[in-house]
Amino acid sequence: MAAGEFIILDGAMGTMLQAAGLPVGQCPESWNIEQPEKVAAVHRAYVQAGTRLVCANTFGANRYKLARSGYAPGQVIAAGIGLARQAVGPDVRVALDVGPIGQLLEPLGTLSFEEAYDVYREMVTAGETAGADLVFFETMSDLAELKAAVLAAKENIALPVWASMTFEATGRTFLGATVPAMALTLSGLGVDAMGFNCSLGPRELLPLMEELRRWTDSPLILKPNAGLPDPATGAYTVTPEAFADELAQAAALGVTALGGCCGTTPEFIRALVTALAGKHPAEREKKSLFGVCSAVRTVPLDGDVHLIGERINPTGKKRFQQALREGDMGYIQQRAIEQQDAGAEILDINVGLPGIDEPEMMERVVKAVQAVTDLPLQIDSSDPAAIEAGLRAVNGRAIVNSVNGEADVLDAVLPLCKKYGAAVVGLTMDKGGIPRTAEERVEIARRILDAALAHGLAREDVLIDCLTLTVSAQQEQAAETLKALRYVRGQMGLHTVLGVSNISFGLPQREKVTVSFLTQAMVAGLDLPIADPNRSAVMDAVAAFRVLSGADRDSAAYIERYADVPAAAPPAGPDRTMTLGDAIAKGLKEETAALTEKALETMTELEIVDQLLIPALDRVGERYERQEIFLPQLISAANAACEGFEIVKRRITEKGAGSISRGKIVLATVQGDIHDIGKNIVRVVLENYGYTVIDLGRDVPPERIVEAAIREDVRLVGLSALMTTTVGSMARTIEALRASGHDCKVMVGGAVLTPEYARQIGADYYARDAKQSADIAREVLG
Amino acid sequence: MEPRLTGIDRREALAYLGWRGGPVPEELDVALTRCQTLLMETVRPRAVWRLLDIRPDGALGDTGFVPAGESIRAHLAGCDQVILMGATLGAESERLLRRAQVEDMARAVVLDACAGAAIENVCDNLCADLAAALAPRHLTGRFSPGYGDMPLCQQEMLCQVLDVGRRIGVSLSPGGLMIPQKSVTALIGVADTPRTKGPGGCPSCDRRDSCTIRKEGGSCGGR
Repeated sequence: MAAGEFIILDGAMGTMLQAAGLPVGQCPESWNIEQPEKVAAVHRAYVQAGTRLVCANTFGANRYKLARSGYAPGQVIAAGIGLARQAVGPDVRVALDVGPIGQLLEPLGTLSFEEAYDVYREMVTAGETAGADLVFFETMSDLAELKAAVLAAKENIALPVWASMTFEATGRTFLGATVPAMALTLSGLGVDAMGFNCSLGPRELLPLMEELRRWTDSPLILKPNAGLPDPATGAYTVTPEAFADELAQAAALGVTALGGCCGTTPEFIRALVTALAGKHPAEREKKSLFGVCSAVRTVPLDGDVHLIGERINPTGKKRFQQALREGDMGYIQQRAIEQQDAGAEILDINVGLPGIDEPEMMERVVKAVQAVTDLPLQIDSSDPAAIEAGLRAVNGRAIVNSVNGEADVLDAVLPLCKKYGAAVVGLTMDKGGIPRTAEERVEIARRILDAALAHGLAREDVLIDCLTLTVSAQQEQAAETLKALRYVRGQMGLHTVLGVSNISFGLPQREKVTVSFLTQAMVAGLDLPIADPNRSAVMDAVAAFRVLSGADRDSAAYIERYADVPAAAPPAGPDRTMTLGDAIAKGLKEETAALTEKALETMTELEIVDQLLIPALDRVGERYERQEIFLPQLISAANAACEGFEIVKRRITEKGAGSISRGKIVLATVQGDIHDIGKNIVRVVLENYGYTVIDLGRDVPPERIVEAAIREDVRLVGLSALMTTTVGSMARTIEALRASGHDCKVMVGGAVLTPEYARQIGADYYARDAKQSADIAREVLG
Repeated sequence: MEPRLTGIDRREALAYLGWRGGPVPEELDVALTRCQTLLMETVRPRAVWRLLDIRPDGALGDTGFVPAGESIRAHLAGCDQVILMGATLGAESERLLRRAQVEDMARAVVLDACAGAAIENVCDNLCADLAAALAPRHLTGRFSPGYGDMPLCQQEMLCQVLDVGRRIGVSLSPGGLMIPQKSVTALIGVADTPRTKGPGGCPSCDRRDSCTIRKEGGSCGGR
């Protein structure tokens, strides 16, 4: 994009075609083949009004939206680019215009990132072949989808990539993405221009543009709607002149590419050209803000302290290792939620464990964690393949943990950071190990910085870790670490990362030493400590430091943190009369855990399961059936019992004995159905009754269910469907299971099912509710 | 006419949880209050609507959309206009519900029930606003694709006419289900005379298929 000049874009296409007779509901793109002259006429009208870059009529030319049109994306795109090129002549550029797929991506929707990537790959390669000058992704509201699109372009074609998102007046997209998150993510991915289109008029979008320019140095695009539509008629009422006058103010913000979206016509573009006459895009200052982000939350790298949670890491944690080996994402997701609730602002993700396919697991865990928290992530691995898998799956802008001073490590990892736009942690060590002096560590930090800059990273995105050594083994090293830290932050001006927990290894009352070291490190300039946020002393230290450093203005955050803490409440003594059964019935997790521990003193693991936990759950189930209690309490009780099972399981794992699983069950919400809360309730209850549940998720095709049933050799499969329209898919699944010859029982449940209907589609059992599914499991599996 | 969430009906939420009257256990009462507060603070409802003439051939305005089936024809009998509406609790509610299912399933079912009551409240408010704006004309109740014999596949056309993807951030799954799940689309008839058959009743209830009260042969009596 040339500096100093505006690029005049076009206005709406869809509404122009509808005015020319396109029926609502028909793909506008089909007219590239059926009515090319009418599409070309729209392009010509815009060019006559002053447009210098037209968007071809290819916005919805993806395989999903074209599914019923009878046309393939390649066909429609070739026609669309070809006719545009012919209509506009050699002096006007033609963009391959690409909108959202129309299907929501995981985790909220069902479309996978990889499928989205492939949909866009098909479009952009067709666009390049057809001779487009650039690719323009627009009207995006999901940052993950836009990332798939940009990667598809960057990895498969050589054309420039423009990206534009659609925001609400609140400064968020429908999916919650913010302006800083968009800027950080798209700058990181290296788009050639970015901006906003659709949803609002120029007046509403200008304040958002004001924010965007502070977070990116990319050229800026603005394509607003013609104001806000009349809800009753859907018509836009702003005049071309009013639109153009407002939009022309964007020139002062340094916006270079300007045009219109819904409701705009060639008249609007003509008025825009007039309004911009004699103006030039204002010179822009270099961006002043840096940070990392998820799609909806940004952590600025501003010198203030932001804690990175360290708990998603199997090192030294048996239970976490077990979760990784069993693919138990629920356990890992709970660790993520717990850390966010405790105050972590970034989550470190480490899944390195012998025998685990690290890249595959990294992708899975990143996706699982993102489904339940909105914190930015730090991809922690030494395996470049795992780092790349993590960076690809991240929605937002991540940190890579880590590189060190070794040239081959820098050469392997820094290009990945550049490609995906990640910040990077540099450990001040190399082949020679960790240097003993601060000076030598600073020397390595310099080397890492130089390499990062040479690979195209920004200085602000290099985060140096001066390394914590165990004070009980190398006492003098604590001072060296702090000295190096002071220099790196103070003299080099780089942000610093430091895992502090290791300092106290081998000492009694570890927390006291850890927290003191953390405080000293923060004073020395540590702004990104890696620690366990669940330790309140750690978070206390951060909160207090932020008051003393002045970062916490008027101590507001500090005061809020302790607002609800009673002065000195006496600890509530344990209720000595409470039984394990009572604790479960009341849904008291901690008490259940404590009473299970106590029971283990006198009973075996299996006795506790058979004589205490299961009977307690049964009593709760009976009360539920008598409608004395309701579903939430049934689940609470099951959850409390789960605490007991967990303790028993841990004890058995420690002994190295087998498992106490009462049998395996495959559960799935059938293909076409996305309502899975019912299935999830059943899963929780079954797990808490001691069964191992293989949960295949929602919208699961019959063949995957059959495959899992055979692979896991399960004797019971549970299927759920909520809608009348998806019961057919349930019937097909049962048919496929029977046809496979695998010997298993099938239980079905879901709002629309009845016992009669269940029989009719060949199910062995109808489960009215979660309680009954547990009864069925007992009958089938014991 | 901004979409508004003004309250979450506890009795309605309780009904979704299987309550049939009688005392409400204290823990449940506390959980309900928490979920109500959380939703009221977090959710930003969005809505879109269009007012269209019913043409003699049954098509709505110039959209080419012809609602199919006897039930919707009966619902719109005597009406010369129709409001198409779409409303959603948005991605915020969807995320809350997903997270709650990992965190604590017991809370998740309460939250789900409250969110169900919340989207009904948003729709009720929108209908009340529309009724006031169109007075002295009269509105029928809401009728959604999938009710009676109106095929669920018409959801797609309705969503296209309302442009729900761009306007309120609702998308359809390949199976024709709306995401976010707490979303509603509906047709509302507009007539000069009040409709004798008021809104409500099982046949026009959007929980018709999933209602356990109805399955057991009962009725909530339109609440």
